[in-house]
Amino acid sequence: MKNPGWRRRSVLVAFALVLTFTGFFAVRTVRRAIYWHYHQDEPIRPWMNLGYVAHSYNVPPWVLHKALGLPQRPDRRPIREIAREQNRSVEEVIAALQDAIVHVRPPYPPPGPPPAPEHEPTRGRSP
Amino acid sequence: MSITDQVLAALLVYGLPVLFGVILVCSAGIPFPISLMLVVAGSFVEQGEFKLWQVIAVASLAAVLGDQIAYGLSRWAGRRVVNRIGRRIGADAQIKQAESFTKRWGGAGIFLSRWLVTALGPWVNLASGIAAFPWRRFLLWDIVGEVLWVILYVGIGYIFSNRVQAVRDILGNLTWVILGLMGAIILGWKVLSSFRSPDKSSRTKPAAAS
Repeated sequence: MKNPGWRRRSVLVAFALVLTFTGFFAVRTVRRAIYWHYHQDEPIRPWMNLGYVAHSYNVPPWVLHKALGLPQRPDRRPIREIAREQNRSVEEVIAALQDAIVHVRPPYPPPGPPPAPEHEPTRGRSP
Repeated sequence: MSITDQVLAALLVYGLPVLFGVILVCSAGIPFPISLMLVVAGSFVEQGEFKLWQVIAVASLAAVLGDQIAYGLSRWAGRRVVNRIGRRIGADAQIKQAESFTKRWGGAGIFLSRWLVTALGPWVNLASGIAAFPWRRFLLWDIVGEVLWVILYVGIGYIFSNRVQAVRDILGNLTWVILGLMGAIILGWKVLSSFRSPDKSSRTKPAAAS
């Protein structure tokens, strides 16, 4: 390769660029994987509902309902909607949830059984 | 609050119609992180909020329909524009060449850009339409690729149902690595072959003194 033509040179440059690009994202992928390995909890986002937060953080859903003063029944609404209904900012609601989550995990004692529903629905028909 | 948050919140409140609408619009070319949406949908299938077959059917249908719209539009409108420009600058031969290339390799490109390098999807739709890639073959590759994409991402969401953001974050980066590797392989091959044989296209010297 005494005097490589411009075409050959441009292919080489493109190859080097693509390698740099790939290397950059490869390093980033590994870094993100390591990050997530050590950060088991993902940040709570406004789109999540209490069911997902409970599932993701592995805490009983009723703890989160209680923290926001909501009745003990399934609630599919995203945190954003709950915040709007309660006239609070999303950040405030997320902070309340995080606080509740911290207090049901070690070193705090486990939360125990869920409280009885406020108005007993007609469940469990006896045979 | 970001658009992603808004759309995902809407998905929780209104369910599958939102999934359908967003995927349809995005497949037609509007950029939005829909793979996150599919992962979230998979997570909610695992939690019993959605039914698996419904999510797969709705998402696949929306994706294929969106691609067909993009293909149709670029074939109908894009082709006229390209032809006009080509005639003006005298690039008819090059356009013909690009067309035959797309016809030969387009199937694989369509298939891979549906599920592996989804960032290229809208561009491949555009190119296929403009190059008049045969519609039936486009449809076939599109359906196979999109159904695979939906099953893959919903499945990942189902398996990692409590860590959707982490999974999506890693997958997003990994996609670019895969795309880069594909490019590196193609360019590496070109580099190798340009070293092996004297440059034919730029130099027309007889290959005596090499």
